[in-house]
Amino acid sequence: MTLSVTAVVVTYNRADKLPTVLDKLAAQSRPADRVLVIDNASTDDTPAVLAEYGARPGIEVVRLDTNTGGAGGFATGMKLAYEGGADFAWIMDDDCYAEPDALAELLSGLDAAEKQMGMQLPFACSVVQWVDGDVCEMNNPGTTWDWGRLLVRGLPVVLVEHCSFVSVLVPRWTMAKYGLPLSEYFIWFDDQEYTRRITAAAPGIQCLDSRVVHDLPTNRGVNFADVNERNLWKFSYGVRNEASYQWHHVDKAAALRFAQRVHRGLKEGRVPRKLRLELARKFLEGLTFDPKPEFPKTVL
Amino acid sequence: MTSQTPLGPGASRVYSVHEATWWEELDDRERRLLDGALTVSVLTHPRRVLRVLAHRGEAGAVPETTGWAVARMTWDGASGPVALVTVSGAADADAPDDVEPLDLVVDLGGERPEFVQAKPLTPSPFHRAHFAARSRAPVAFDALRQRRTDQLERRPSRRDIPRTRSAPRSAAAAPPPGDKPRAVLFGLHWLELGGAERWALECIQAAAEAGFLPIVLTDRASSSPWVTRPELADAVFLPITSPLEAHQDATLLNGLFDAFDIRGIHLHHCTWLYERLPWIRARFPWVHIADSLHILEWRTGGFVEIAVRVTDAIDVHHVISPQLRDYLIQDMKVPREKVVLATLADLTPTTRAPALRRDGGTTVAFVGRLTQQKRPYLFLRLVARLRRDLPDARFVMHGDGELADEIRTMSRRLGLGSVLEMRGVDQPVSETLDDADVLVISSDNEGVTLTSFEAAAHDALVISADVGSQRSVVVDDLLCPRHPLPFLAAARERVITAVTDPEQRARWAAEQQRKVQAFAALPHAREWTRDLYKEWNA
Repeated sequence: MTLSVTAVVVTYNRADKLPTVLDKLAAQSRPADRVLVIDNASTDDTPAVLAEYGARPGIEVVRLDTNTGGAGGFATGMKLAYEGGADFAWIMDDDCYAEPDALAELLSGLDAAEKQMGMQLPFACSVVQWVDGDVCEMNNPGTTWDWGRLLVRGLPVVLVEHCSFVSVLVPRWTMAKYGLPLSEYFIWFDDQEYTRRITAAAPGIQCLDSRVVHDLPTNRGVNFADVNERNLWKFSYGVRNEASYQWHHVDKAAALRFAQRVHRGLKEGRVPRKLRLELARKFLEGLTFDPKPEFPKTVL
Repeated sequence: MTSQTPLGPGASRVYSVHEATWWEELDDRERRLLDGALTVSVLTHPRRVLRVLAHRGEAGAVPETTGWAVARMTWDGASGPVALVTVSGAADADAPDDVEPLDLVVDLGGERPEFVQAKPLTPSPFHRAHFAARSRAPVAFDALRQRRTDQLERRPSRRDIPRTRSAPRSAAAAPPPGDKPRAVLFGLHWLELGGAERWALECIQAAAEAGFLPIVLTDRASSSPWVTRPELADAVFLPITSPLEAHQDATLLNGLFDAFDIRGIHLHHCTWLYERLPWIRARFPWVHIADSLHILEWRTGGFVEIAVRVTDAIDVHHVISPQLRDYLIQDMKVPREKVVLATLADLTPTTRAPALRRDGGTTVAFVGRLTQQKRPYLFLRLVARLRRDLPDARFVMHGDGELADEIRTMSRRLGLGSVLEMRGVDQPVSETLDDADVLVISSDNEGVTLTSFEAAAHDALVISADVGSQRSVVVDDLLCPRHPLPFLAAARERVITAVTDPEQRARWAAEQQRKVQAFAALPHAREWTRDLYKEWNA
């Protein structure tokens, strides 16, 4: 029986990079059965780009009325993939270039890992490289304590407990059992929250032979020392979302340790007081912010 | 007198008639029932000569053709004997002539209406209270039922259905092909009106077209009104009514496999056959086994739960709705490769030229059996509310069933006579759908309703309770909660909008067409079955 995969690409104002993303998807050795592009109400040339790609077979464009952020876009795309009867949603950003075997390796890696572990595993993610071939710092997954369990058995796979939404294969059962990403997060930490949520009973995997390139302007992970006026909005979401997650879903002490980490980063970066106060306000907002996941419903 | 007319396919394939006396002419249905009774009797009494007295029962009585009932030498009231037939197995050439025949008595039942009141003849106090509550306070009664359904849906034990282990299938164990007719054994609940039965008849026809002899076993006592359908003309019929005597289960199945080259078994809601699958798999390991599943039943578990219990003995589960596919794979952990989704969408046309509508007001319709599952009383309550909101509207209730009397009484009580037209099953459904602007589906459980397809083809907008796989074919905005009061509130609001806001109605109609077409594009059961039987015939 053939398994069906729906690739979900969430885009916002990336008309320059989006064609490469879609061309790389079309060039897969095992192509996705359906490609869903969620346009978060882009205001650049994205609609024109998508008008051309949307006319190609297998590509569907869903244009949202408002920008729902990466979180809202992924939640919408995964919901539509589920409702369309997909066995897997393969989710990625609009600056993610998948190598030709990326999907094939995710599918075969997940299948082999499940057989070795004797259980269903909630996701498989790719190795994410920066444009120079180095590991992409923003997208390095967190491993489990026994991350090499399958490596020593000869599988090119490591066990992970969270990852970012840059080439992640999510099985249908995972969406049915754990629901969708929290669209209320809008941006940042939505991927961390989701992958931590769905690894409650079993780890995810990173397939070392499945590779993608993340075309970021710089190769740098999240660092609170970098906060400035321009990127404050994004860090604000990050602080609120992670505070919410740690406080409501880990424990209170974890939230306080997170506050300490933020504080240390801001201090190291000599971030102006005004911005620090804004982030403190967002931290407190996170303590009363606890959205609940939506569960997709069977349609096809 | 001796009839020259063969009773049915069993007469030549399973048993030989030695002698026959007829007191009254049998109609076609009775003839096929007697043929079935003789077939079962001969297979359960190998190498015996049987003298079978058939009598016609009182009006409304169901036939009793097997088990302990046929050893009873008495019958009641207005019943009377219609035939005395002496038979033995067609292959029993060595059946001794000098052994006294074994006497059996078969009750062919009486004339029955198509729908039978599901009330017991002598209701207990509990049943009397149940019927009174439903007829006097249907909404409150239904609210309690739905709360019970909520509890059952959440019951953790539903996730832990015990499985019966089976031996693995082994094609290599198949005996060398002989000259026995190739056959497929079908298990059905009964041969009466129903969606599962309609699909089963399609499969029986497909098996015959693939070169198989269909063998049709039913396990629910029934007058079998569909036994005269052309799809069953050449089928060997096995109407099991009462439980068989000790050892007769295996004797019957061994006899069937001795007489026919049975390549596959296809179950369509047949508890008797489901329960015997592990034994069949171990005894005849080469036989392919498939089942077709239609609907989840939260209260009893239904046939889906029985199928899950014996899934180890089943090669492939055919499901007709995405909801059932996900239930089996995700909730019941049945291996994905064993579950095939193939819809019955092609049994109903999904596109056609809209008929010319009559001028004048709006028509809101209900089409379906008048049974508890369909909750026709909710439609009546909806009509009672809408008649004030839409004074020009006309309402049609099309169908018949065990609640027909209650519904008529309720309609009178609500004073709906002037606005509600009742249509019986003698009138074509297509006419009602041509008339309808809006079709309301108030069921508390469904698989996926074929009526939704038909309505879409007739340009009627479907407003449905959000049950089963209705979400697959009904517009999201037009799905209403299952609980009765929220259902009535939501359905009322949607009907009013559909009638008074042409732009919204057009958007809903376009979305309905899109959904129906997407569902119709899923794999079709007819094609899947044809391929399955081709594989069995290889």
